[in-house]
Amino acid sequence: MSARRHLAWGLASLLVLAMAIGLWSWIARAGLVSAVFLPGPERTWAAIVKGLQSGVLVQQTGQTLRRMVLGWGLASVLGIGAGAVIGLSARARVWVLPLLEGIRPLPASAVAPVAIVFLGLSEQMILVLIAFGALWPMLLTTAHGVASRPARLAEVSRCLGLSRTAYLRKIALPGALPDIFGGLRLGLTVALILAVVGEMITAQGGLGTRILLAARSFRAPDIFSGVVVLGLIGLASNAILSLAEAWLLRWRPR
Amino acid sequence: MPAQILKVAPRPQPVTAAPLIRFAGVGLSFGRTEILRGIDLEIAAGEFVSVIGPSGCGKTTLLRLLAGLQKPSAGQVSMAGRPLRGPAPDIAVVFQDYANALLPWRTAAGNVALALEARGVPRPERAARIAELLQMVGLGAHAERFPAQMSGGMQQRLQIARCLAQDPSVLLMDEPFGALDAMTRHKLQDELRGIVRRTGVTAFFVTHDLEEAIYLGDRVIALAPHPGRIAHSFPVTLPPQRDQLSTREDPAFLALRRALFDFIQEASA
Repeated sequence: MSARRHLAWGLASLLVLAMAIGLWSWIARAGLVSAVFLPGPERTWAAIVKGLQSGVLVQQTGQTLRRMVLGWGLASVLGIGAGAVIGLSARARVWVLPLLEGIRPLPASAVAPVAIVFLGLSEQMILVLIAFGALWPMLLTTAHGVASRPARLAEVSRCLGLSRTAYLRKIALPGALPDIFGGLRLGLTVALILAVVGEMITAQGGLGTRILLAARSFRAPDIFSGVVVLGLIGLASNAILSLAEAWLLRWRPR
Repeated sequence: MPAQILKVAPRPQPVTAAPLIRFAGVGLSFGRTEILRGIDLEIAAGEFVSVIGPSGCGKTTLLRLLAGLQKPSAGQVSMAGRPLRGPAPDIAVVFQDYANALLPWRTAAGNVALALEARGVPRPERAARIAELLQMVGLGAHAERFPAQMSGGMQQRLQIARCLAQDPSVLLMDEPFGALDAMTRHKLQDELRGIVRRTGVTAFFVTHDLEEAIYLGDRVIALAPHPGRIAHSFPVTLPPQRDQLSTREDPAFLALRRALFDFIQEASA
């Protein structure tokens, strides 16, 4: 029953996707929008194939992926670390959280000029930009997850004689994992967005730079091929994270 | 007071001269609210003490003082002659809410391992000890199950196994079977008594079930409320080998049940 339903829903989503592509193709062929701005799926696909054959698109995808993963990793380490400290200490929550809540709504793209002043139009600047933007969801979800652990487990930890670091590592963080995964997921989306923004600002290569340069010279198929690959990256990275989540949280009652 | 308790509580097993646990004039207040007053109590090594009393009489608080989770505002709790300053690995606590007290992300084996990790037992020695402990509580075949995949009775067995992994000399239990159905409760009572007798651990068992208190205990301490204080100490004169049917029909059992029942009626009035 459940498996059949799963299959039906999967087929339905594929059907919707096929219809969307069909609509796109029809709009492009009917000339509703000038071909200079809107290439059809066929020309976009041709641009992807050409990019893969020449290796340019592969290289650009690699660059963007690397930045996204590195920046996201940096944000994870910082965000989960700081979130754990804040979640454990009621004092830190009262003292630090208002400040963090004040910084958090700042759009990362508005912070970019500041990062450029310090780091120039460089690789490091892109990574700092990504880390800054992706940090918040992880920090806040970790702090929340660690702080909202049942008090009973803290007592169990004391009764067993676990050290503070052992409590954090073996009880507080694993217990906060369902919350942390929410932050990791949000952070991943932000990381991909900021990787592209950073590449557009710095022109250091990657899909962001590809799209920007293609737009400036009206090569619409190249723009669209970049956008399609970005969409696929988002889809695939989310799927991988979902698999990791399903495995790591398999203990949860269904 | 302690002398009086000792007099009315002759113990079935030989007892060393010094008690293992001693409450001396222990009181606890939160602000103006007095929870416990003038608690004097001595418990011998290997003794099984049940604690009963009407709700709100401070049974659980008494257990938390002994667990070191709560500090007395008057008097002193000491173990083996040394004042208790906080939780000690030598004292294990079985909480009533087993679902909150287990790590849901660890398997049964992993939960037992936590206590061994805390004690610094080297990794190669853990597996055999875990298997032995799970066997002891009847979970030998369920080592790889997560708590969410276990019944309430199994989860409470698992918590008991984790407590035994601490290799404690004192086992504190706070209404451990209160949330279980009657059949499971009886089964676990027998298993617990067997484990306590085999390991020689000193047991401190808080319950609201009078029959359970008698069935398990060598002695039943009755607390009166407002503020919580020790009202009586009833020795249990039943033979050490107990049986769910015949023990519960024993005249001594029925007489004590009557005495405890009358006490609760009076104390709650």
